[in-house]
Amino acid sequence: MTRAALVAVAAALALVAAAPASASEKHPTQSELEAMLVCPSCHVPLDESDSPVAQQMKAFIRKRIAEGATRSQIVDELVGPPNNLGDAVLGVPRTHGFDLIAWILPLGGIAVGAVGIGAGAWRWSRRRASTSLLPAGGPQLDPELDRRVDEALAHFDG
Amino acid sequence: MRALRIIVAGCVLALLGLLVWDVAHRSGGKVARDVDKGEIVKAPAFSLPRTTGSGKLSLASLRGKVVVVNFWASDCVPCKQEQRQLNTVAAKYADKGVVFLGIDEIDLNGPARAYLRHYHVRYPSVSDGDGAIAGLFGVTGTPETFFIDRRGQVVPPHIVAPPQGDALEAGIRRALNA
Repeated sequence: MTRAALVAVAAALALVAAAPASASEKHPTQSELEAMLVCPSCHVPLDESDSPVAQQMKAFIRKRIAEGATRSQIVDELVGPPNNLGDAVLGVPRTHGFDLIAWILPLGGIAVGAVGIGAGAWRWSRRRASTSLLPAGGPQLDPELDRRVDEALAHFDG
Repeated sequence: MRALRIIVAGCVLALLGLLVWDVAHRSGGKVARDVDKGEIVKAPAFSLPRTTGSGKLSLASLRGKVVVVNFWASDCVPCKQEQRQLNTVAAKYADKGVVFLGIDEIDLNGPARAYLRHYHVRYPSVSDGDGAIAGLFGVTGTPETFFIDRRGQVVPPHIVAPPQGDALEAGIRRALNA
């Protein structure tokens, strides 16, 4: 019962989280698209640029929103045909193709770093544990050496 | 520990590979500089979508003709100033083996088409939406004009503003005689 309730809550949360994204895809806003795109001539976010091509892009977005285009359609029409401005207008790299490297490399670096730190910590803790397992008073002396030490001490005592 | 070293070495090699790839793909952009020094250089190959109509147009398809390449943009005021002269000279040399080719740089298709209609541009134009081909030519703004001879080589001069006097026709004559 508890498990079923948890699954239901998780599904509801996922739906709540997905709903705005889906609405944004179907009914994008001007400001949202201007924030996710970049002016191809001055390389600043579209909502901060007033260059001629940025103004053209803003007008195009406004027109396509009015015509009912989705967010993906508008972005694709700017990147590809008919405008062919290329990936340079995207504020973030795409999550497929060659651009995927831009996502993988930092995450891979963090993962490798975490593994390295983990492995180092594990080795360090093992070394400390093995050191602490030595018998109290240090390692056992060789019997012959032990006898000679006793003799020497007896000589001093005598 | 050995595995970790291999992974780190692999990452470093991958990053170096990316760097080399990037540098290799930025090797263009010398055309304008070399032509300005009076040199004749091979024209960068390109195939770009037509600004009006459909399909692509490649520079290779124009081999055997002198090609006057004019980089322009719909928001460029000097482009508008030189357009009448370009149209006149293009018509004058059309039957002399000379082709004018407009390259619309970093522009949206709607305004570009409106420009071509408004200024009655009859010669073909292609869209260099991301400015990649302009980069290969070493273009730093619009308008800029290059002359390519029949063998696909860029010959001087390289005009970086609306042509003054006879400059446009002098460039065509030089390309025809190259």
